Amino acid sequence: MMTQKYLEQAGKARETFFLRLYQKAFPITAKYISQRGGTFDEAKDIFQDALVLYYEKVLTEKDAHIQNEQIYILGIAKHLWLKKCRSKPQTTELDHPAAEAVAVEEDEAPAAHKLLQFLATAGEKCMEMLRAFYYDKLPLSEIAQNFGYSGIRSATVQKYKCIEKVRDTVKEKSLSYEDFLA
Amino acid sequence: MRTSLHEIKVIEQHLLQREPPEEALIFEARMLLDAELKEKVKWQNKTYALVQSYGRKQLKAEIDAVHQQLFTTTKHRSFRQKMLSLFTK
Repeated sequence: MMTQKYLEQAGKARETFFLRLYQKAFPITAKYISQRGGTFDEAKDIFQDALVLYYEKVLTEKDAHIQNEQIYILGIAKHLWLKKCRSKPQTTELDHPAAEAVAVEEDEAPAAHKLLQFLATAGEKCMEMLRAFYYDKLPLSEIAQNFGYSGIRSATVQKYKCIEKVRDTVKEKSLSYEDFLA
Repeated sequence: MRTSLHEIKVIEQHLLQREPPEEALIFEARMLLDAELKEKVKWQNKTYALVQSYGRKQLKAEIDAVHQQLFTTTKHRSFRQKMLSLFTK
């Protein structure tokens, strides 16, 4: 019960964050893409991927001083748009600083997809906890509180238990989903 | 912490490059000698990749929910109209 409540709060905070960014940065991004002949749906896809990359950037570089977030997001979106236009005919990757971060829409192997679905249902609590730590990069103290552990120590132990559990599942399932082995 | 969890911690430090360089070398050497350890490292590495995909997927769903909110509720009607008008030619 407690866990649910805290997770809702974390989700609510992200919702507010993205709602604000959407209202601030979608207009200039949509304008940019419409002027270049893109559709609304293309603008939506590009913008959403840009938000994902922005979120990851803000999290991984806590000291990143981003002066103007809407210009920054527009920059990522421009890059994604150019990449999309370029990728229609086959070309090589440009050596752009944001290039390595761009594979948001990477084609997932069917086996990886199946495995993710399995884990999302069979091990949801572990996946949510691992997500909070490794992806959302929340501090362990907050994770302990959100997931109802007595403290950092027990949250740490639980985190490793979850890694073990998921790792064993991945190994076991991969034997039946062969293309994931590649 | 039990031994297997301690091992997971050590593998994690190696995979996320959080150990001192000399320990990284020792770990590399251990992997050469211990096929079982090497195997564990491989699966644990895939685990982090999956957690990353899972995180992105969940985040994208959350972002899309925000999109739906902006583009379907009456509260945001003027924003929606402005945005859609950019694409009517």
